[in-house]
Amino acid sequence: MAKKLPLEGIRIADFTWVWAGPYGTLQLAHLGAEVIRIETTTRPCVTRMLPPWPDGKFSGPNCSGYFNQYNQGKKSITLNFNHPEAHEVARRLIKASDVVTNNFAAGVMERLGFGYSEVKKLKSDIIMISLTGYGDTGPYKDFVAYGPAQVPLSGLSSLTGYKGWPPMHAGFSYADPNAGAHGALAVLMALYHRARTGEGQYVEMSQWECAIDLLAEGTLEYTMNGREPERNGNRDPQMAPHGNFKCLDWPDKIADLTVDRWISVVCADDAEWGRLARAMGRSELADDPRFKTLAARKSNEDELEAIVTAWTSTRDPKSAVEELQKAGVAAGVVADARYLSDDPNLAARNYFVRKEHPEVGVKQHCGIPWRMSETPCEVRSAAPTIGQHTDEVLTRTLGYSRAELDELRKKGALD
Amino acid sequence: MAGALSDLKIVELGELVSAPYASKLMADMGAEVIKIERPRIGDSSRRRGPFPRDEAHPEKSGLFLYLNTNKLGVTLDVATPEGFELFERLIAGADILIHNVVPPEMDRVGLTYERLARVNPRLIMTSITPWGIDGPYRNWRAEDLTVWAAGGVCVLNGGGPEHPELPPLKTFGHQSGYQGGVHGAVATMGALMARLRDGEGQHVEVSLQETIASMLEMTFEYWPYMKTVANRLGAKPIAPVETMEAKDGYIYICCIEDHQWDRLVEVMGSPEWAKEDIFADRFKRAASWDALKVFLGEYVSQQTVLGLYKAAQAKRVPLAPVSTMGDLLNSEHLKARGFFVEIAQPVAGTHKYPGAPLKYEKTPWEIRRPAPTLGQHNEEVFGGRLGLEKARLNQLINKGVI
Repeated sequence: MAKKLPLEGIRIADFTWVWAGPYGTLQLAHLGAEVIRIETTTRPCVTRMLPPWPDGKFSGPNCSGYFNQYNQGKKSITLNFNHPEAHEVARRLIKASDVVTNNFAAGVMERLGFGYSEVKKLKSDIIMISLTGYGDTGPYKDFVAYGPAQVPLSGLSSLTGYKGWPPMHAGFSYADPNAGAHGALAVLMALYHRARTGEGQYVEMSQWECAIDLLAEGTLEYTMNGREPERNGNRDPQMAPHGNFKCLDWPDKIADLTVDRWISVVCADDAEWGRLARAMGRSELADDPRFKTLAARKSNEDELEAIVTAWTSTRDPKSAVEELQKAGVAAGVVADARYLSDDPNLAARNYFVRKEHPEVGVKQHCGIPWRMSETPCEVRSAAPTIGQHTDEVLTRTLGYSRAELDELRKKGALD
Repeated sequence: MAGALSDLKIVELGELVSAPYASKLMADMGAEVIKIERPRIGDSSRRRGPFPRDEAHPEKSGLFLYLNTNKLGVTLDVATPEGFELFERLIAGADILIHNVVPPEMDRVGLTYERLARVNPRLIMTSITPWGIDGPYRNWRAEDLTVWAAGGVCVLNGGGPEHPELPPLKTFGHQSGYQGGVHGAVATMGALMARLRDGEGQHVEVSLQETIASMLEMTFEYWPYMKTVANRLGAKPIAPVETMEAKDGYIYICCIEDHQWDRLVEVMGSPEWAKEDIFADRFKRAASWDALKVFLGEYVSQQTVLGLYKAAQAKRVPLAPVSTMGDLLNSEHLKARGFFVEIAQPVAGTHKYPGAPLKYEKTPWEIRRPAPTLGQHNEEVFGGRLGLEKARLNQLINKGVI
């Protein structure tokens, strides 16, 4: 008999949108929960409207690779809350659910009539989680948070950057998936508590705080020594070399974008430096007083990096990495999407997912970053088209008759 | 009130960030965690710092003290037969083992789920490794940067199209480790929910490379959908979304939607230049960024960070300060929410640490004890719980097993 997925039978009324919340409920879907996204055609999820689109052509709210990545294995229903009937549908869904999730700004769920106190009346042991930018309390609770701005707000930007340069970004809205992953964990902990005690609860997150948890070394430098840490590029105080190094550059453009090639190289200790020196055919450098010890390598780091670059810059990234790893040196390709899509390790581990989607067909998507020996998790379906499961959820799960469904649709409550 | 996980017993065989962060997330919610460190040497995060007054000391490392709150600490060399036997006795009484021992070392020690399941069939064993426990790279070396880059994030960040010579830039700290930790904890809790239902333990494994690749926003899909990629040399499609220098620090100007820009223009007092057609929509502003950054930059340079931040937020424009560490520690908002927590540890003293990632109505996040000193609970755990005689304990200490 096929094993059940870990969260099979757990239903989530998912009011989240954009990225942070959907990233969190994606983890729960990966674990087997039935995640039902409550959407509306009048204001589709931001990510449904963003690129990438198949061949670069926008063809409506079902074609976005962004949405289709982070909503795999979920269901979608559409409700227009301008109609009281839509509120009734949502109430019935909440009654039939274990968890209610949202990442609206503080107060939005209350205005919709789905604040925790209301939701709890519908189902006494409900678990409700809000992933807001600034939290439910405090003087900035009504401030607006947007994905990219959360990285500088968190403090990560002031710690990230080239030496002597202004603060830099992380390159993506990092605080979003971080909030989503921590939120998914919180839901699991609350489910565990409910399983033991029968008690539901409300859980609240400030995405800002959740991101500060990733930079304790920075805040502790300040609290212990009253100092702001200096930005120092890719370098590390206790490892050298430690960085990304340029490889053989052949003219390569994808669309209008220049693509160059880099690999990361790290030597964690003197022995690893010896292995790197030998792998580069420069065994004499292993015991060279300029590089023999960490302290020496840190004092001569510009020279050290120039030596590594001289070796990498005549090599193809993949073969350079293989050569270094064979010698026992921590190295890896600085992968972009093209490289990742064909990465031998990810391919061998069947990481990628290719499910049939009614509009975009079969596309390669990122999968589940864990494996389980007894309850193997899998992406069960491609991301839903908008409202794909409205009929199914209303009739099968919530007990609406076909006639009632038609009536709701005619009124516009299911837009 | 008890923590949500107060009935759970976890053994951690963890180094640096990923496994220690996973078990910290659970320890702070009430689980009992016995952390195993190498005798004499201890977790390498003890050597990372930061250290008070920059004096390196294994009991004063900020990173270690942060990542190991609420844990009991023992020392044990599991690579020795006597050490592994004691390890198995700890596992016999545990619900969960979380480790980040790399696969070649797992092979050397003989650390397999099958072996541990013989002493505890209900055990959940979570292995967090750089490249996964199988696959062609299982034995490859990696540090945090290696998998951050190989997972596809590093390529997105850098000096921009004007500075192709600057390398793809890593984000501060040990971000692969933190993400491996939180995703590892998610998978572990999933396995625990399955065990509540089925009564069976299992082996869970988490790949850091895959974890990073799962967080690439829309950028991975650019390849399968459009046969293009995103990288640090690409121009931004929308403006302004940029760090700019104000009078007293940096501020992040973030107007992704046109209506946000319109309201920022109002905040600026609707200057004439903002009416130019080249700034008429977010795409035009990106194409005219060279001009925009002069006008906008001049305005921003005359503002204070907090003043502009609050003025913009009052009109619901999502600007944000580029927070320094001092800004965070002194933030009126974070103070009102009680985010940073003071933790006293006998050797390192009392310091403020980042606090709860979430707030729970019924099951508190709380610091019950500071991070352990090296081997602090050897006697309590090996003597008290496993019943080792004092003489035997000393013998094992002298042999370097404990």
